[in-house]
Amino acid sequence: MARYGMALDYKNCINCKACEVACKEENGVLLGADKHRIWVGVKEIEGEYPLLDIVSSTFMPSQCQHCDDAPCEMVCPTHATYYDDNNVVRVDVDKCILCSYCMNACPYDARYVDDRTMTVDKCTFCSDTRLERGEVTTACQNTCPTKVRTFGDLDDPDSEISELLRTREHFSLKANLGTKPKLFYLT
Amino acid sequence: MNIEKIKEFITTIPVNKVCARDLMAFEKTPRNNILAVVIFSFLAMLVVGVAIYLGQGHHAYNVTREHPWGLLIAVYIFFVVSSTGLCIVGSLGDVFGFKDYELISKRAIFGSIVTILAGFTVIAFEIGHPITMMIYNIASPGLTSAIWWMGTLYGLYLTFMVIEFIFLLKHDMKMARYFGLTGLLVGLAAHSNLGSVFGFLNARPISNGVFYPTYFILTAFITGIFIAFILMGFRYKLDFSEKVKTMLTGLAKIQALLISILIFFVTWKMLTDIYGGMPNRAEVAIHILGSWTFWAEVILAMVIPLYLILKDMGKSHVILFWASMSGMVGIFFMRYNLVHDTQLKPLQMLKTREYQVAPEWIHYFPSSTEIMISLGGLGLCMAMYYVGTKVFNLDEDTKEVK
Ligand code: SF4
Ligand code: SF4
Repeated sequence: MARYGMALDYKNCINCKACEVACKEENGVLLGADKHRIWVGVKEIEGEYPLLDIVSSTFMPSQCQHCDDAPCEMVCPTHATYYDDNNVVRVDVDKCILCSYCMNACPYDARYVDDRTMTVDKCTFCSDTRLERGEVTTACQNTCPTKVRTFGDLDDPDSEISELLRTREHFSLKANLGTKPKLFYLT
Repeated sequence: MNIEKIKEFITTIPVNKVCARDLMAFEKTPRNNILAVVIFSFLAMLVVGVAIYLGQGHHAYNVTREHPWGLLIAVYIFFVVSSTGLCIVGSLGDVFGFKDYELISKRAIFGSIVTILAGFTVIAFEIGHPITMMIYNIASPGLTSAIWWMGTLYGLYLTFMVIEFIFLLKHDMKMARYFGLTGLLVGLAAHSNLGSVFGFLNARPISNGVFYPTYFILTAFITGIFIAFILMGFRYKLDFSEKVKTMLTGLAKIQALLISILIFFVTWKMLTDIYGGMPNRAEVAIHILGSWTFWAEVILAMVIPLYLILKDMGKSHVILFWASMSGMVGIFFMRYNLVHDTQLKPLQMLKTREYQVAPEWIHYFPSSTEIMISLGGLGLCMAMYYVGTKVFNLDEDTKEVK
């Protein structure tokens, strides 16, 4: 029983997209632009040449925020979306009726339709692949060359992520919506 | 003993025995012929559309990750709004006892049954796994889900409407009133829950809030009155008796009030959306104001009907029949806009350069399969209604109330 979360030292991201590839490979995510569990967002450089605002450009890796108060879980009519024992937000493919309500309710555009099962899919923190095999890292974290990602148990005060969140300033996305994301962006 | 009673109850429901030949034995006027061709082609489209869907699944639709709800959701809403509206109109006479409106009760209640059946048919091809839905709706109900409440309450509502209709056929007005009132209350609850499916979307500031759950009830009543005009127009071939005229004028006056309230609602919704420039809301509202589908809704469903009613306080019944046709087209746009506008604004999450430049606005245009299934739903609705007019006596009974 853990409460898994992830801290992202996003300023270290170099937009190599190794995490996107690792995620697809590890979790068998379908090919295609629309079919992705994680992504790297690019904020373009602002200003007109030659007055470019270099610091305005950032790379922002993102994915399902595994909200503690997840709108997707609330709106699901059949409890197909649920919290597993580790507080990871998961989708039960047997129960999902593909009403797509969760896709509309998720403020983070974290969900898509898996064409093989015709149900909704999203990031699982590698719960049914790596974690099940007893590993303690996610595929995206493991592959990241600049070590942007730290994954771990937020309830364990001695975990690396707890230590990071205690010592570094951080923010979460669309915090005003009260979804209580478990993805933290370190500043 | 009880089974005997139920058997007797069912076998004594007054129905006319009709065969296929009776169904084809309509007066061969040009109008009827055109209608028959339209219904048959729509039904053929339903068959083709469903066949394509069964072969290709959701790939046959133009729904995407960013725009997961498409035309079929809008058409489903269109039908269930019509159903709720007809239920309200039907209840005026047989539940609330307004004598003038009793003559449409049975017809309206039957209309509410066929429209919701058409709606269920359309949604069955939008929900990815309808059978799974029926199982897990009961086995693991998501009580915090507006879709769960909406679907479950609509199922109950349909049951009550059918029972009410049977009592109306049997001319048992007391029982019809009980079931009618229960059905109406459950229907209104279901319908406002459908509004809350959108109202609860915190992620979508343009739809979030109390507006849709209340607005759905108002627009349902308006839709019901439009359809009442259309049903009566077809029933009496636009040649209304004095009694029908009195009723239609009454309905037209109610309609004028309702449309005025609607215009008031929509104006203030737009103003509050834009005022202060709140991100994700103001720019979406301004974008909506620039779309032709919004103006189609305003002109066809609000301006034209209201103007024509107010011109002589609802006395030109034939003109109002045509105004109601315009109104229904407008109501269709209203439903389409509601669904599309909710999803207009990308949730982005800084995905500005991922694989492709993210669109500033999400684009969507229904695929031919979606259009075929939607028109097919309309064809099915018309066909069921036509069969109903043959099998049941939908006119007001003249015998004494039991
Ligand atoms: S980010 Fe979206 S999909 Fe993930 S838990 Fe939150 S609401 Fe659900
Ligand atoms: S699409 Fe599936 S997971 Fe999403 S709300 Fe509907 S049933 Fe639940």
